[in-house]
Amino acid sequence: MLWAGIGVDNLIDMRALLDGVSIFEVSLWLSGLLLVLVLIGVRVAFAAAFIGFVGLCAFFMQRQGFDQGLVTAAKLAGQVPHSKATQYALSLIPTFILIGYLAYFAGLTTALFEAAKRWVGWVPGGLGVATVFATAGFAAVSGASVATSAVFARIAIPEMLREGYDKRFAAGVVAAGGTLASLIPPSAILVIYAIIVEQSVGKLLLAGFLPGLVSALIYGALVMGLARLRPTLGPPVGGFTWGQRLSALPGALPILLVVFIIVYSIYFGWATPTEAGALGAGVVLTMALWKGMRWRDLQGALMEAAKLTVMIFAMIWGVLIYVRFLGFAKLPDAFAEFITGLDMGPYQILLLILLVYVVLGMFMDAIGMLILTLPITFPAVMALNGAEAGGVGALGMTNEEAAIWFGIIVVKMAELCLITPPIGLNCFVVAGVAQDAKMDISVQDVFRGASPFFVADVATVAVLIAFPGIVLWLPGLVG
Amino acid sequence: MATTSNVLTDDSSVSRADRALLHVEKALNLAAGITIFALVLLAISNVLLRKLLNAPVPGYIDWTEQFMAVFAFLGLAYVQREGGHIRMDLLVGNLKGRLLWLFEFLSVIFMWVVVTALIYGTWFHFDRSFDFSAPNWSTDSSIDIALPLWPAKLAVPVALTILWLRLAVQIWAYGRGLVQGGDRIVAVPLPEDPAEQASKEAAAVGALGGDRRG
Repeated sequence: MLWAGIGVDNLIDMRALLDGVSIFEVSLWLSGLLLVLVLIGVRVAFAAAFIGFVGLCAFFMQRQGFDQGLVTAAKLAGQVPHSKATQYALSLIPTFILIGYLAYFAGLTTALFEAAKRWVGWVPGGLGVATVFATAGFAAVSGASVATSAVFARIAIPEMLREGYDKRFAAGVVAAGGTLASLIPPSAILVIYAIIVEQSVGKLLLAGFLPGLVSALIYGALVMGLARLRPTLGPPVGGFTWGQRLSALPGALPILLVVFIIVYSIYFGWATPTEAGALGAGVVLTMALWKGMRWRDLQGALMEAAKLTVMIFAMIWGVLIYVRFLGFAKLPDAFAEFITGLDMGPYQILLLILLVYVVLGMFMDAIGMLILTLPITFPAVMALNGAEAGGVGALGMTNEEAAIWFGIIVVKMAELCLITPPIGLNCFVVAGVAQDAKMDISVQDVFRGASPFFVADVATVAVLIAFPGIVLWLPGLVG
Repeated sequence: MATTSNVLTDDSSVSRADRALLHVEKALNLAAGITIFALVLLAISNVLLRKLLNAPVPGYIDWTEQFMAVFAFLGLAYVQREGGHIRMDLLVGNLKGRLLWLFEFLSVIFMWVVVTALIYGTWFHFDRSFDFSAPNWSTDSSIDIALPLWPAKLAVPVALTILWLRLAVQIWAYGRGLVQGGDRIVAVPLPEDPAEQASKEAAAVGALGGDRRG
């Protein structure tokens, strides 16, 4: 043994030192410390792995003394990365990421915006509505909100400014439109949720489809409403003939093809989600090659896709080391017991949990926040529903349904935070792109422009809570 | 999330170590990227062969899981070098000079400790599935076509060791920053304000500059 011979046992008797210490209390302290580490800027994946490892050390040193406890903890933690990161279900994450990086080279973004503009430009705030639908369409090939906002800031904002749109309004629409990527398949964040809470990846992806569509419609309605109330915000852009409208469609078709492949394959069990993602990537890649993408471009896209993939996988196994310790400390069980013991109705408690997410989301990255908190909040929500096998629980659904439904709600909440100050990343990205292109738009402008969409998102969440059928209908059909 | 950070260089030894390591890291990250591409091709062939010829790729899932070990780990050090691993920079984003280097120094030390433990743990995980005297040197294998698992398991401690070296370089560089002070030190990603970050993020997806195809 590498470390068993250190002989620290001769110096300190850890068993005596830790005797009578409650590992549960240790887990509370360590979870607090994890928050501190994250706050002072330690990389989230490694902060979680560190705390998990220290916790495992405490647990095993209490039983086996320092030397052997250290070895056991390292071995247990060491099993996690390989065994958790090489599960087949996770293999679709890089395919989705690659689709996103290739989509630009396939020329899909301008084609989409052009088509949306010709079809819906004539309504009040027409270019804003077009942006919403174009971002929703692009979301279908890109699971990344921030990238979606970045791309459309470049395409849609200059055009809106040319047509005399209010700059805050224009920037806000783009920042908010980017958040649609999180629900419309393929969505990387939903896959991560499915893995962490051990639910069917396919069902979650299907579940995101209608809520994503509802979000887009609510956004579109909001833009029209605002532009109707204050026509100076954004005038309609009309004058397109049916011929022009029809001719704009072929460029946007690959998007429909990708959505169709992914939803159809999963829905009919024609291919696994990974295969569907790969087929989607194949379509976009073919398109990109046809448009003249070079080897250098592909290499760049692969490097970026590899980076984002390893970042996400590190978060997953890092947090799962922490989760392994939490399991020994029984912290999730205790939290679930505490939640169900509260003297409040299930929806009140759910609302409280969601509020905590809004606050956390103001300061944390969406994926980081979800991965860090789900191990504790998810079992609590399941306990809150508390359905017997096959039965319906306090939230009016089976446990599997509740798991899917909560996933969609919580991802929507996490995305909401991309447009809230102080660190709403989408807003910074839009402002960054705008400043780079010498447009006079500050971060504050974007935040103010995006604020009505925050209200719309809250309304969307309320609708999804009131009508869970919107979430559960499509996955329910698969059985 | 996919930002590329600015790392300054000069002819000091720490900067030379940084650049030497960067060659290895870039190559590993590119290998990871190419593996993602291979995974896409493999999955497409599997669907097509299954649907058209009723003959799926033998051991498709086994191969996929082997590939995953490559792209899930090999880029770890490269992303650390570029300052990419997700973190909250609310606090460190507002610090400057020695105080900033102190926090970065501590932050890297925490990582270094856990990575050291994980190298041991993941090596042990590999070692249990590896035996020179066994067929394919392997004591365990994948379910379908019995691929040996040790190469995939070995990828983890190898990637973590490169990361360990990267963290050592960063400890050295931040330590140097602590001693020398100043705002611009070499061999580590320098902090960027959100606007700079955003521009780079946008550039990564090609949303900036000559908008040739977008």
